[in-house]
Amino acid sequence: MGALLELHNLELGYDKKRIFKGINATGSSGEFIALIGPNGTGKSTLLRTICHNSHLISGDIIINGKITSQIREKELAELITFVPSLIPRARNLSIYDMLSLNCYFRSNWLGKVGKKDRELIMDSLKLVGLEGFENRDSFSLSDGEYQRATIAGALVKDTPVIILDEPTAFLDVSNKYLITNLLKEIANKNNKLIIFSTHDLQLAINNCDKIWLMGNDNFYDKAPTELISIGAFDKIFKLQDYRFDELTCSFRPSSF
Amino acid sequence: MVGIVNNNRMKYFGLTLIAVILFIFDILLGSTSVSLREILNLFNGSGDNSMVSTIIFDYRIPKAITALISGIALSICGLQMQTLFKNPLADPYIMGISSGAGLGVALFLMGSSIFGASVISSLGMSIGITLSAWIGAFCVTLLIILLSKKLRDNLSLLIFGVMIGYIGSATVGLLQYFSSSAALKSYVVWSMGSFAGLSQSQLLILALFLIAGTLISIYNIKDLNLLLLGEQYAENMGINLRASKLRILISTTLLAGGVTAFCGPIGFIGIAVPHIARAVFKNADHRILMGGSALIGISTMLFADIIASLPGQSGVLPINTVSSLFGIPVILIIIIKKRMI
Repeated sequence: MGALLELHNLELGYDKKRIFKGINATGSSGEFIALIGPNGTGKSTLLRTICHNSHLISGDIIINGKITSQIREKELAELITFVPSLIPRARNLSIYDMLSLNCYFRSNWLGKVGKKDRELIMDSLKLVGLEGFENRDSFSLSDGEYQRATIAGALVKDTPVIILDEPTAFLDVSNKYLITNLLKEIANKNNKLIIFSTHDLQLAINNCDKIWLMGNDNFYDKAPTELISIGAFDKIFKLQDYRFDELTCSFRPSSF
Repeated sequence: MVGIVNNNRMKYFGLTLIAVILFIFDILLGSTSVSLREILNLFNGSGDNSMVSTIIFDYRIPKAITALISGIALSICGLQMQTLFKNPLADPYIMGISSGAGLGVALFLMGSSIFGASVISSLGMSIGITLSAWIGAFCVTLLIILLSKKLRDNLSLLIFGVMIGYIGSATVGLLQYFSSSAALKSYVVWSMGSFAGLSQSQLLILALFLIAGTLISIYNIKDLNLLLLGEQYAENMGINLRASKLRILISTTLLAGGVTAFCGPIGFIGIAVPHIARAVFKNADHRILMGGSALIGISTMLFADIIASLPGQSGVLPINTVSSLFGIPVILIIIIKKRMI
């Protein structure tokens, strides 16, 4: 059996403007993959395209052996979950009600969930460390807690692939590591394919099984160590006076 | 969870009680004083007072039912629009749907008088007003659908509504010069808003609009809840977002268009009532808010109608004036507190 997710020669763009071409990558169950690249290269566009075929010009996205442009929205929604970087908060929406929204096709016409999904909601909350939060107002949560709640939502939706757009962008250091560890754990234990975009090189190199690195018309799909050995980071982020430092996994002034 | 459910039941019960009491008061009170005993006699069949009978059955009960229907319609209309546009100020009046209806009516009434078609029968007149209000409301809704991406922030929404309002009044101003005073008068009377004077057949049509619009609204509840987390999130669930939005706008046009056609433009109820419901129930769930808004909408409209036709005055105040007096303070509070939905 092939990989869970395969990208074949994708070309992305809006209307007539081409953004990026030549994207080839794979992802398997249980893998934790970071998507890295300079601002404006089209990271978010790539993630949204994988989830909704929204900006696909040519190429094939294959999930579970199915070409996603040929299946229905509903079927695609059962394969993949997208967690946007900023989910608006609704005042007085309880965490339980928020998570039950993720059972859209499993709940009744008024949105009431069954017993099995109720248990799934409770288990997911427990897994992200938000046990006992089900009756809390989602508006009252801290940014870190809210991000964990949205991850619980992705677990409730229960798809083999979960994609997150900059899940740690607005978090402090401790929450950043907490969320990253949580995602890594979910990928490993629940056997999910998790792909997330980030600007934190160090964090990605130290935690991820693979990195999708995009920029300057290049696209790499390799393990972090391989990327370092071929000098990919220097190639993608063309910095004049800085060099990628293997020891600290970050860019340092080249005169040092 | 159980405690919350019981609590909500109590609130529903209380709101229903208030609505029933206001309904009775709306029938009792009016320019002509009718005592409770006289009404009870009417129902017993013991008294024989044809004047009281006419006042109650032909005037006050239809008027109270019209107020009740308008209250439900405008409130759940505002609730849906606020969620759809993620905008606490969205409602049919602010967004210009009522102005669109007004423009339609102005064009019909004054336009027909200009072109000499003043011999329209009264039935033709009321059908014409209804249809033209409806077409006006529908055109503005269509425009909103087309512009919906740009109308997401409060400011552009307000500007849009105000502009449609200006276009309406400018057109009315233009037509005033050419139209007959009779046509002008019937437009002004319509635009002040009133629950009175609906015939039974008109009331039936209005009720059908309400039932159709409300049924679609109830069906919208699940999608409305999903829209609370943003369109991107909703799309991710695999729903057809365009279809959901269209369904919401169709139900709001049915509800707001129907009420505006028969009762005139009634402002600010659509904005204010959902916010009162949110404050009462402290819950964003549309399963709770839809019913809550409907009940609060009934009470608010009946109360407005009672104030409008308070005893001791010869005439009846325009409903739009009374509803503005309620609604505008609520809107100011929203703006000051920046209370988002």
